[in-house]
Amino acid sequence: MTPRTKLTAILLGFGLIIAFVPENTTKPFRLTASEMLDEVQYGTELIHPDELAEWLINNDPSIQLIDIRSAAEFENFHLDDAINIPLNQLLDNEWVDYLDQDVKMNILYSNGTTRAHEAWMISRQLGYENNTVLMGGLNYWTETILNPSEPNSTSPDDEIAKYEFRKGASQYFGGASNSTPSATEGKSKKPQIKRRKKKKKVPDGSC
Amino acid sequence: MMGPLIPQEVIGEGWNFFIAFAVGIGFGFVLEQAGFSSSRKLAGVFYGYDAVVLKVFFTAAVTGMLGLLYFSLFGWIDLSMVWVNPTYLWSAIIGGIIMGAGFIIGGFCPGTSVCAAAIGKIDAMVFVVGIAVGIFGFGELYPMIKSLYLAEYLGQVKLSTIFGISQGVLAFFVIIAALLMFWIAEIAEKKFPREEY
Amino acid sequence: MKTKYMNPYLAGVLLGLVLLSAFYFSGRGLGASGAVKSIVVTAVETVASDHASNSEYYSKYTGEGKNPLNSWLVYEMLGVIVGGFLSGAFAGRLKLKVEHSPKITSNKRLMLAGIGGILFGFGSQLGRGCTSGSALTGMAVLSLAGFVTMMAIFGTAFALAFFFRKNWI
Repeated sequence: MTPRTKLTAILLGFGLIIAFVPENTTKPFRLTASEMLDEVQYGTELIHPDELAEWLINNDPSIQLIDIRSAAEFENFHLDDAINIPLNQLLDNEWVDYLDQDVKMNILYSNGTTRAHEAWMISRQLGYENNTVLMGGLNYWTETILNPSEPNSTSPDDEIAKYEFRKGASQYFGGASNSTPSATEGKSKKPQIKRRKKKKKVPDGSC
Repeated sequence: MMGPLIPQEVIGEGWNFFIAFAVGIGFGFVLEQAGFSSSRKLAGVFYGYDAVVLKVFFTAAVTGMLGLLYFSLFGWIDLSMVWVNPTYLWSAIIGGIIMGAGFIIGGFCPGTSVCAAAIGKIDAMVFVVGIAVGIFGFGELYPMIKSLYLAEYLGQVKLSTIFGISQGVLAFFVIIAALLMFWIAEIAEKKFPREEY
Repeated sequence: MKTKYMNPYLAGVLLGLVLLSAFYFSGRGLGASGAVKSIVVTAVETVASDHASNSEYYSKYTGEGKNPLNSWLVYEMLGVIVGGFLSGAFAGRLKLKVEHSPKITSNKRLMLAGIGGILFGFGSQLGRGCTSGSALTGMAVLSLAGFVTMMAIFGTAFALAFFFRKNWI
């Protein structure tokens, strides 16, 4: 048998097998338990409503709001430009491109923090980057941004500054505040992805 | 232990360049052993007298392909962490055409030219210098060709996705195609014999 | 003098295994043109660094703390030189010469090599890779770009072969 014939037989054999065996589609867990614990303790995944408000006011194009609640709750009220990925559909193929990408920063939210955090944990263990959680969810958002409570005049300056900002934001978002807003800072920062441990990425193999 | 090892941080990033060097030695060694250090052998496939390029290239591609798929099957490698080169359709086609011209005129490709230069082939060294000039030219002309360069971005898409078939099935078809080419090539080689260079 | 080359199918399998090990260890495949590109970028930066930072193309690789020579491909290429040299040494093929068809002169061959190189250099940047990087590695991961580039390269070479036949046969 010439080398060519031997090669033909071998390649055809392997080829047939690989053609018919179903692909290994298990999504592996990519973070170890201790890495997961570190991340959770740092709280790097949390986004404060103040930050979110600022980005939304500045029309920051690099964020994407994801509503983890059910479709009914979403219909009832949702933040502008949010997309709805109910928790039970989190692993559906339809949403993979939203959750597993490195272009936009996803901000997951629910009414409180629990459901959003559940979604975050799962997506994080699958190795998805760029997913964050809105601290306190819609409840805290309403409390701080939509209905900010006025601090005492004796409060420290930055408390007052924050309140001014939130009043302005509340106006913007149609909240309950009814006094004229002071000019909001026109800072258009890119959302900071907070200091994270270097995560696994696909290497750049371009040549 | 799930590969790829360095992206999965199974072994440290610092090893990466050492591995690159080791891979390069293997690469250069095999290329030279196969005769890719000779431009006349390389050009031979286009005239029928020496199909070494076809045989080595496609056997290597198929071996790599099957290797990756089997490794993935056994859970030894996570394919989603392996670099898939992105498709920019126009630049791939036109770049390929220009390279094809370079191949038939110069008789080398970058990897083989370096390998041939390593054993003393002066024409290969000139080729390498030519590559540098060509790259420089591209850098200078970049603003003009930029729109072509960035056109028709299809993402890091695989051929199997385009055809809607699984990777394994595609690999099988590629194997069939390669085997057919090998059989035809050997017939051509018998028809156009030449001496070994 | 007849020289002994390895069986091409065996060489192909070995090359495929080298490719596979690159994927397994580093998550990426082989390449060649990128290394030359790194050298060109470094050269341009050293000689005319303003030009480099102003240019859209070079500035991607230059700038604070970025050393284009510190790339996977450059180390790989150094390995290729060593590997090729070793193989040539073992096989007795080390010789400084211009290899050309008896039907053309040495100088013509050098000129053709130069032109071919320029074309390949330019094409490899446009095509985002050469035969090793885009076509071979690309095909192994089943990327569309890999197949397209491969077909474009080989197709064109075949199509033009007739016009350049005097240089080879």
